[in-house]
This record gives sequence, C-alpha cells and structure tokens, in this order.
Amino acid sequence: MLLPPFEYYRPSNLEQALALLREMGDQAHPLAGGTDLLVNLKLKKLAPKALLDLGGLEELKGSRADGGQVSLGALNSASRLASGGPHVPRLLAMGAGALGSPQVRNRATLGGNLVTARPAADLCLPLLALGARAVLTGPQGSREVSLDGYFQGPGYTVKEPGEILTRVLLEAPKPGQGGGYQKLGLRQALEIALVNVAAHLELEPDGKTIAMARVALGAVAPVPMLAPSAAQVLQGAKADEKSFTAAAQAAAADAKPIDDHRGSAAYRRDMARTLTLRALRQALAQAQGGKEVGA
Amino acid sequence: MSKLAISLTVNGVQRQALVEPNQTLTSLLRDELNLTGTKHGCGVGDCGCCTVILDGETVNSCLVLAVQAQGREVMTIEGLAQGIRLHPLQQAFVDHGAIQCGFCTPGMILSAKALLDRTPQPTRAEITKGLSGNLCRCTGYEKIVEAVQDAAGKMERG
Repeated sequence: MLLPPFEYYRPSNLEQALALLREMGDQAHPLAGGTDLLVNLKLKKLAPKALLDLGGLEELKGSRADGGQVSLGALNSASRLASGGPHVPRLLAMGAGALGSPQVRNRATLGGNLVTARPAADLCLPLLALGARAVLTGPQGSREVSLDGYFQGPGYTVKEPGEILTRVLLEAPKPGQGGGYQKLGLRQALEIALVNVAAHLELEPDGKTIAMARVALGAVAPVPMLAPSAAQVLQGAKADEKSFTAAAQAAAADAKPIDDHRGSAAYRRDMARTLTLRALRQALAQAQGGKEVGA
Repeated sequence: MSKLAISLTVNGVQRQALVEPNQTLTSLLRDELNLTGTKHGCGVGDCGCCTVILDGETVNSCLVLAVQAQGREVMTIEGLAQGIRLHPLQQAFVDHGAIQCGFCTPGMILSAKALLDRTPQPTRAEITKGLSGNLCRCTGYEKIVEAVQDAAGKMERG
C-alpha cells in the first residue's frame, strides 16, 4: 500500500516546529510514532501537504518528577511506558502493555495516543483514571488541560491546530494507591477493545476506606469517559465487594454504548459492569500492596 | 517533492540512499538496497511480515518512513547468518518445520531475536506475547514456538 506524496520536515526544536505549523496551517500534520497517521494516509483518510516529524524535539522526550508532580514527554513510546520506569505509574504501564503488538508499542507514543483520541485508546483510559493533564503548546505559550474535558469526539480534542501536545502531567504516585486495567477483545494482541476499563483507588491510611476513586470506561461512548457515578459511590466507602458491586453497576449506568458490528450496546453495558468490578479488585490488591490479581 | 539523502547502517554496513519523502523503510530495503528478505504484507502494521530491528527494537518497516532511518541502525533477516552458517534461530526454524511458505518467517525470526536479546530464556507465554505482532497463515504457531524454545536452549548452551 503506497503513501500519498507529501513534503517532509524534521524541526530540531519546539520553536521551529511551532513556526512551521503556523506557516503551513492545516496543510501540515505532526508525525510522532506514525502507527495511526501513516495508516490513515495509506487508507486515504488524510492528505496533508507536509508531515512534521516531531522525533527531533528534545522538549517532548524523557520523564521527570518535581514537586510531587510527574511530567512525561509526549514522545515516550508505549514500550517504554509498559516496561515501567521510575516515573511511570503502574496503571499507565498496564494500559501501555495492552496496546497493539510489540512492533506497534515500540513506535506508538503517549502523545499520539492522546491526540488520535480513539474511544478505546489503551493509554487514554489509565491517564483519565489517574487524573492526568495534557500540556498543549502553541504560539502563545503552553496551557494545561485536564483530560476530563479534553476529548471532544472520536479523533477530536480541544487541541488547536497550531498546538502540539508536548507533555503529560500526573501526580506522583503515593502509597495506598492502586490501579486496575481490564481489556476485553476478541484476541489477545493487535486488538481494539470491545470494552476496556481503568480504575484508580486511593485508600485512607487505615487501608480499608476509599479516599478517592476514578473509573474510566472505553468503547462505550464517542470518547474515553470517566464514570462520575461510580466515583461517587466509592468515595468514602469501604473498599469491599459490596461497594465495588455498587460502583460497577453505577459505571454501567454511566456508559453510553451503541450497537455496532463489534458488539451490541446491551452487551457492552454488561461488560462495562463486569470489567469495572474486576478492575476495582485489581486496584485494591495493588493499593494494599498485595500481589496483583487477574480478575 | 525532491529526494532526500540519507545515511544509515544496515546489517553493520554503512549505506547511503536517496529516498522520496513518502517512501517507507520497507521500500528502501527492498527496492533500493535489494534486501528482499523483508516482506511487504498488509502495509498497515497488522501482519508483521515487514518486521526489522531498528536500534535494537522491532518495528513494522511499512510504518516507518525511510527518511526516519537517517543515522540509525537497521537489522534485517539478511544480517543474521554468518556466511553460510545459519543463526541458531534460523536453524531451529528449519529443524522444527516452523517454516512452510516462508512469507512470515523473516519477521517471526527477527521478533524472536529481539525477544531473546532481552529475555534469553523466555517462558512459553513470553514467546507467544513476543511473537504476537507476527501473523502466520499456514505453518501454525506451535512449531514456531517450539523452534524459539529450542533456539533459546541452544544459544544458552553456546
């Protein structure tokens, strides 16, 4: 399958990249890992005049922690995130390990997954559950956007065409926190989830009461979404099967699935419930420092 | 669209090439450098036939621009054998009948090599996960997994 013709630019810093974007407007498309963009070009879904390879931008690389906050560069590959690393939350590593295939994970990037904004994206759900913020940098400088509100529709976000998603900000992990990630597909690799769920739990110092929780649902709405009713049920509740069952039911009620060729809305809603329950159990085991459980 | 001059290392040899901006790494390897061991399959990153090792990591070369290989190190299936001596993975694929039509084999072997470089004694689950980006439509996966297990054992014993 052939790629359509385009010009190729590889700016060596962020300033150059932003200047090129401003000059060319929507004629230019940023290129990170290329695992979505190059496919879309081959399938003739997109035909930009130029590709702007972000691979040379140091500003988008690495990861660092300062003042209780973690900053992950948008160019971190899914493989790097999956293998953990000093500043990568375990929940994000779990999602990254479930993305695509080894070859795809070696190319696909953190920023790319957020900008492509598919409803079942394996990095978007953990990031939503972790309360992450995206740093969008444009000609006027940088702004921080909470991911709750960042996604606008399949493939659409609040990012302006002249902006580049440069980094992702997260609270540094603390003891008493745990994450769970559940992905349901028809096969074990190279799969877009039928339903996927990420859960994040923070326990009180007593180790039994839930201080705060977030549940993110995938493939049950036009965008990766948080389940606010599930979070509400869990906050202040005891971390036990009873609360988790109630939260799973609330999450299923929050879901807005549709029927399509991959699964019916009723099935997806039911799976949202089951996977939420499993993800919460998994998150609790992690928060209590026990061994991870599969379900 | 004008051609771009790039320089890269392929199988340990420094190479220069003039590439179109929209040329893929698969096309550079096959059409310019005549390394036709790398196969062109689905073209969209699903089948893994075009797998090569780029700076130590497997990639689908159909989803990498040739120009993105500038200054980097590429290993293809042609880089594995030493003269007429096959790499232990290649020999194990032959010994186990893990190669039938052969179209997926270069990618399978390179994914297996990248796996063994990181995890010299993988479990069966680690092998199937390591090969999960490579599809085979005729041999079946059983013999392929056996071949990788055998090669890992032989490489460990030296």
